Amino acid sequence: MRVGIVCPYTWDTPGGVQAHIRDLTESLLALGHEVSVLAPVDEPDAPDLPPYVVSAGRAVPVPYNGSVARLCFGPLSLTRTRRWLRAGRFDVLHLHEPNIPSVSMLAIWSARGAMVATFHLSRATRSLALTVFEPILQTGLEKLTGRIAVSPAARKVVMEHLGGDAVLIPNGVSVDRFAGAAPLPGRPSAPTVVFLGRLDEPRKGLAVLLGALPALVQRVPDVRLLVAGPGDPSDLMAAVPQPLHDRVELLGLVSEADKPSVYASGDVYVAPNTHGESFGIVLAEAMATGTPVLASDLEAFRRVLQDGRAGALFPTGDSAALAAALADLLQDPARRAALAAAGSQAVRAYDWSTVTASVVEVYETVRASAPVQDALDDDLPPEDAPEAGGRAAATWRRLTGRAGSSA
Amino acid sequence: MSLAQVVLLVLVVALLGVYTSWTAGRLDRLHARVDAAWNGLDAALARRAAAARAVGHHLPPGPEADALEAAAAEALEGGPVAREGVENALTRALRAALPLLPGDEGARAARAELDAATTRVGLARSFHNSAVADTRAVRRRVLVRRLHLAGHRVLPMHFDIDDALLPAAGAPSP
Repeated sequence: MRVGIVCPYTWDTPGGVQAHIRDLTESLLALGHEVSVLAPVDEPDAPDLPPYVVSAGRAVPVPYNGSVARLCFGPLSLTRTRRWLRAGRFDVLHLHEPNIPSVSMLAIWSARGAMVATFHLSRATRSLALTVFEPILQTGLEKLTGRIAVSPAARKVVMEHLGGDAVLIPNGVSVDRFAGAAPLPGRPSAPTVVFLGRLDEPRKGLAVLLGALPALVQRVPDVRLLVAGPGDPSDLMAAVPQPLHDRVELLGLVSEADKPSVYASGDVYVAPNTHGESFGIVLAEAMATGTPVLASDLEAFRRVLQDGRAGALFPTGDSAALAAALADLLQDPARRAALAAAGSQAVRAYDWSTVTASVVEVYETVRASAPVQDALDDDLPPEDAPEAGGRAAATWRRLTGRAGSSA
Repeated sequence: MSLAQVVLLVLVVALLGVYTSWTAGRLDRLHARVDAAWNGLDAALARRAAAARAVGHHLPPGPEADALEAAAAEALEGGPVAREGVENALTRALRAALPLLPGDEGARAARAELDAATTRVGLARSFHNSAVADTRAVRRRVLVRRLHLAGHRVLPMHFDIDDALLPAAGAPSP
């Protein structure tokens, strides 16, 4: 099958949607499908840009939905999107987050035929811009044959805001990339607890974990905390008693390549999230590595951990309970081994091979349920016609003072 | 009538014209989407009925096998008339018959095809019902109803059946 995938966010910056698209694409390629990914790219000449990525142009930072999103929207991107659609002759077009103003939206407007979109956002987005543009967005989204949501929360957002239904296909984990990873070199042999996530995002719950440290040290005197993730730790460290500061090891942002080793360096992986986790990809990654997991009992985590069978749970936000549960686990190697084994087994259901098989079923059903069989818009100009929107693109470049990034 | 009123009237008429033609086009696209989604659902249901009949061939003779054969044959007739009832009857016949299915390789292969077909029915049904919901939302609008923008096209209906089967032994739960 020829599949065109559209990524709304800049490919060069790390993010959940980009990682999702990368893993899905590589999994589809391994099954023998032809895949091309259209995405905003800041450095099209970077050596590590995968061969399947086609640049839609440079993205501009735009404040959106409470944070800064790097989006790609304009005549130049539209031209490139249409050129990519024309050259691709895709059997199925797979758009991600088509409800944010970026390349996915441009593709919806330009294409027709078998189209499916994946919705990742689990929070309802209510901004003035969205309310104003919703009727226009709605008509674009009406062209979609199928909709996929990555979590029950994302599905609820789709059903409440767009009406209709969405097929639930959870995120995947490349289990083999994590399984059997070696710990970071030169680690002390002391019992180690690992945390991975943004330090300064309260819902990731690092404060709950640091709050558990004093009580934990009482029971496991040589315990160490390995904390990986971007953000400023100074505020959080201020809450930790001074004598315990050397127990906390801050790794900063770790690369995707180093993540498996970070998980493998822990005797226990802790996910102390307080709320807002729609799936818990970190849990699945730790389980794939073979590290026993202790997580707050959020609904999403309970599901991934099979109500405690594939990983231990503690009451959300309760530092005292977390300290007790951690000490119990660190003093019980047999229970840790059992949880690790159950976790490795349970995480297979979230492997990309399973997820990709479901996505291919959606592609096949979408092809059978779409009004026309080719993903090309009738009025796209032929290949040798002068570039559509060329004049508009030139005007845009003149206005923005941006020199030709058109080739 | 003053000039301002004339201008206003022309403007209103022009806006109404733009809205009317745009909405008519939108409704055209939506109805085409519903029709195509129904075709996809129809094909998925036919595949399920064929798979159900193939499963029936592996059953020991008895009332369950006969009921399944009859239900599958009726479902294979197709057609939109009373389709939901026919498909629900097929699901009931399958639920009664599947526990009797032997564990040999042929029966397992037939069951696997039935499960694949059942998944497609669920997907196609979701796509169809989303198309119906989008179309009905536009057709509910006051101007669309007053101006008869949908023409003589019938109001599309949701297709609601119970197609869930018990998971086969050893199959992962969703």
